[in-house]
Amino acid sequence: MSNNTHGAEGQGCSRRLIVLEQREGVLKSTSVDLWHRMQMQCKGSGLSAVLLGPVDKENPSLQLSGPGVIHHACDERLRRYDPRLYRRIIGELFEEGGFSELLFADTALSRDLAPALSVRLGASLLSRCSALPEAGRCHRRLYSGAAEGTFVASSPRAIVTVSPSSILLQPATEFLPDILPLAVPAAAHDDLPSIVRQVVRREGMVDVAEAGVVVAGGRGMGSAEGFALLEELASLFGGAVGASRTVVDEGWRPHGEQIGQTGKSIAPRLYIACGISGAVQHLSGISGAGTVVAINRDSHAPIFEVADFGLVGDVGEVLPEFVAALKEFLKMQ
Amino acid sequence: MKKPLSSGFFVVRTKEENPPMMHIAVCVCLVPDTASVFGFSDGTLDRSRITEVINPYDEYALEAALQLKEQFGGGEVTVFSHAPRSGSEALRKTLAMGADRVVIAEGEGSDSWQTASILAHTLTSWYSAALPEVILCGRQSTDFGSAEVPGMLAERLGLPSVCAVSSLEGGEDGVFRLEREIEGGAEVLEVSVPVVISAEKGLNVPRKTSMRGVMEGRKKPVEIVEGSPVECARVGLGALLPVSNKKNCHFASDARALAGMLHERGLLQ
Ligand SMILES: Cc1cc2nc3c(=O)[nH]c(=O)nc-3n(C[C@H](O)[C@H](O)[C@H](O)COP(=O)(O)OP(=O)(O)OC[C@H]3O[C@@H](n4cnc5c(N)ncnc54)[C@H](O)[C@@H]3O)c2cc1C
Repeated sequence: MSNNTHGAEGQGCSRRLIVLEQREGVLKSTSVDLWHRMQMQCKGSGLSAVLLGPVDKENPSLQLSGPGVIHHACDERLRRYDPRLYRRIIGELFEEGGFSELLFADTALSRDLAPALSVRLGASLLSRCSALPEAGRCHRRLYSGAAEGTFVASSPRAIVTVSPSSILLQPATEFLPDILPLAVPAAAHDDLPSIVRQVVRREGMVDVAEAGVVVAGGRGMGSAEGFALLEELASLFGGAVGASRTVVDEGWRPHGEQIGQTGKSIAPRLYIACGISGAVQHLSGISGAGTVVAINRDSHAPIFEVADFGLVGDVGEVLPEFVAALKEFLKMQ
Repeated sequence: MKKPLSSGFFVVRTKEENPPMMHIAVCVCLVPDTASVFGFSDGTLDRSRITEVINPYDEYALEAALQLKEQFGGGEVTVFSHAPRSGSEALRKTLAMGADRVVIAEGEGSDSWQTASILAHTLTSWYSAALPEVILCGRQSTDFGSAEVPGMLAERLGLPSVCAVSSLEGGEDGVFRLEREIEGGAEVLEVSVPVVISAEKGLNVPRKTSMRGVMEGRKKPVEIVEGSPVECARVGLGALLPVSNKKNCHFASDARALAGMLHERGLLQ
């Protein structure tokens, strides 16, 4: 085992178990990022992680750098999220391994799994932490982003879910984690009360919650057709299209693209808001974004107060010019 | 822990209830209206300038409950809320929308763990014979946004749960077909009752309250349950600090200049 134990045991790294998530055979980038952030914090002491379900594309240990072990249950039954089996396997590994902290990236899956597991394990639950907890404390935005709260676990055990960050880490180390096969218990025979029957993929674009660049439109885009311009803009960056609630309520875009308090929280390195006024409920979803760019015809729109770069103008006129100019710059690179 | 009598949809209940009736519980919390002024002093929210409203996500849950009652031609929709007594006025809106009664498990300032335990206790004592077929919650509250209570509640009651549901169908045979949004797509699930479901925005369009609904709501019961056993908090909350996202915006003269600014900062990759 490459479980070398020099370095910061002060963080209790050996007692922390990371849950890595795959969807449809692909290791999630948010999980990879969580692993790497833990590597930074634990400075070379071996990490432990658990991964449920097969990973098709690339050997998981090649996507993750730094020392540690990955308990991998490579069973086909775990390819799709099975709440009961997932809870059971993770819960048992946690108990048997004598771990005290369970870490997830904040995703649809962890939001379903973590609360139930916290009851099962009698653990404090710290959800949607803005960064890895330090000394058992984590921070989170509350009240539509108007305030920040500090949460502290008061039980000896804790489950932590961490929001994605706009800064992706790729630590360079010669270590690769070891993969340990993990046996899967036979499915519970009792009345299986909830099963995932099917996963419907939305083809094409990356998800707003995971994209490195998000181009979002508001009512100012004028119509569903107006979003063609934003799709073109997003594709220049390999990014995702997002929307304000108004746009979703109008039926111009699906709810999965909504950003804000009643939509998704995003953490791209670049966020471009077009024809979005910047209501508090919208802004609460973008507090994790890196650079914010706003395009709006109203120079007093609140979105400019939270933007790094702004352009006052009609989207119908300035967006085609913007796209053309970006293409030129991209060609130059 | 009480076990449901049957997992079939129409549970045979105590003899005084005839014909058997579908029970639906909706867990509702009160949150500051997001249009309120959020001021913070001494590390807590200044409540003097806050109006409390029903958590918007809980309205989707309630609407789903009311639609189920209509679909099945009857049943009883009971709203449960862990709230101070003073919350009863705001909670009456649920009665105006069509809920049959409100049960307030009195208290406040609880963390998710405590809230889930109080709700679980209230539900098991209220439905002494069998748990309701469906327990609906909002996906999360709009104040703290933890999204923790529904899953915790289900686990405490020993029920399956499906969180953040954006579509709900079926139920005639005691099995629901649900959809949940996940990153880059959706999951289609099947679940049998009894079950805890949390509602995502887009599940439905909550009905508006009518004048008549408000009048009828006034006549419906709001019951207060005092002295639920309180467990220790599992999470401590430190002082709240107001935050500002304000940045110093650099305005570009035109679209080309804006692209140039992004290029200079190395943002075009
Ligand atoms: C409980 C609750 C939850 C909410 N949750 C969310 C949420 O999750 N996400 C969210 O986004 N909103 C949310 N809202 C709604 C929010 O309050 C705003 O209503 C919404 O964000 C406004 O969307 P918008 O910016 O697209 O539209 P508007 O506010 O109408 O703004 C349109 C903007 O476009 C500009 N514009 C118009 N035409 C042009 C043009 N031709 N060129 C350039 N600019 C133009 C205008 O100057 C204006 O600034 C929520 C509200 C409530 C009450």
